[in-house]
Amino acid sequence: MKRILPIVIILVVLGSALGAAWYMKRTVTDKPGATGTTGAPAGPSPVVNAAPGAQPVHFRGGESAAVVIEEFGDFQCPPCHDLYPILKGLESEYGSKLKVIFREFPLYPNHAHALHAARAAEAAGLQGKFFEMHDLLYENQTQWKDMFDVRPTYEDYAKRIPGLDIEKWKKDQNSDAVEQRIFLDGNRAHSMDVKGTPTVFLNGTEIPFEQLNPEGLKNALKQAFAKAGQ
Amino acid sequence: MSTTSQGQTDPSKRNVILYSIAALVSLIGIADALYLTIQHVTGQSVRCTITSGCEEVLSSQYAAIRGYPLALVGAIAYFTVFTLSTLAAFGYKLVGKLMTVLVLLMFLTTLWLIYLQAFVIRHFCQFCLLSALVTTVLTVLALLASRKQA
Repeated sequence: MKRILPIVIILVVLGSALGAAWYMKRTVTDKPGATGTTGAPAGPSPVVNAAPGAQPVHFRGGESAAVVIEEFGDFQCPPCHDLYPILKGLESEYGSKLKVIFREFPLYPNHAHALHAARAAEAAGLQGKFFEMHDLLYENQTQWKDMFDVRPTYEDYAKRIPGLDIEKWKKDQNSDAVEQRIFLDGNRAHSMDVKGTPTVFLNGTEIPFEQLNPEGLKNALKQAFAKAGQ
Repeated sequence: MSTTSQGQTDPSKRNVILYSIAALVSLIGIADALYLTIQHVTGQSVRCTITSGCEEVLSSQYAAIRGYPLALVGAIAYFTVFTLSTLAAFGYKLVGKLMTVLVLLMFLTTLWLIYLQAFVIRHFCQFCLLSALVTTVLTVLALLASRKQA
C-alpha cells in the first residue's frame, strides 16, 4: 500500500491539474458563437453574422484586396505596440494586394488612457488622418502610457500631423461621431467574440495569438494568398 | 534509514515533513504556472493587481520559447518537483537528490528571470514573482532535506 499511495496521490494531482486547466480554458474561450479557441494552433472557423462596425473602415493597402487583415487594437496595449511594426512591414511588403483594417477595442479601465487614445485617433480620422495619429500613438506608446495626463502629449502629436485642424480635432474627441465609431467597433468586436487585444482576423478567421509574429503572420498570409489564387 | 522494500527506505521524520511541505508548495507553483499558461494560450491579457507590469512581462519575447509559453515549462517543472518530493516523502531512493538538482536548476532559471524583469523588461509581474518565491522556498526545503540525507 505504501508503494502505491504516492503514485495514487501523483495521479490525482495530475488529473486535478489537467481538469483545472481544461476548465479554465473552457471558461475563457467557450461562449455561444465563439470563433474557436484563440490560441489553438489549428481549426478556427470564419466568423459569420458579425456586426458591421464603424463605417467607413480605417484601412491601409488595397481597398478591394482579396486578402484582408482586420486588427482589433488598443493603443495602450503592449502586445499591440509590438504588433504595429510587424503589420506595417507586411503592409509595405504586400502593397495593394493586402488590406489592413484597424478597429478600436480600447480595454478601459484596464488601460487608463486607452479610450482617450482611441478618441484622439478617431478625431484625427474625421479629418482623414487616422493612421497618422495611429502611428504616432504606437511609436510613442512607451512615453505616454504611464503618464498621468496624456492630453498635452496627444496634442503635441496632433500638431505634428500636417494639415490637421487642431481646434476641430480637440472638439471632435468628445463628439458623438467619435463616440459612435468606438461603440460600433466594440459592437463588432463582441459579435466576433473578441476578448483581448490584439485580436487579428485574416479574411474573417482569427489568427491564433501565438502566430502574431513575423513568421506566423507571413505563413498565414502565404496560405491566404494561395487560397485566393495569387 | 532502514530498507523496507525494494527501492524504498524509511526516511527520517524530518525529511518526510520537509518533502511533504515541498510537495504542497509545488502545488502553488503548478496552479500559478497553469493559470499563466492558459492566459498565454488563449491570448488573454493578464491584469496585475499588486505590481504594474504583467502585460509587459508576459507579452515580452522572453515569455515563450519557440512559441511555447515559458509558463508551461514552469508547470511541468513544478509537477515534476511535486512528483519527486511525494516519492521522496514515501522513502523512494535517489528521488530526493534528483529533486534537489532539479530545484537548483529552477532556482538558477528564476534568478535569470528576475534579472530580465528588473534590468531588461524593467517591469515586474506579480505571478512571476510568486513563482520565484515558490522556487526559492523549494530550494531551501530541498537543501535542508539533502543536508539531512548526507
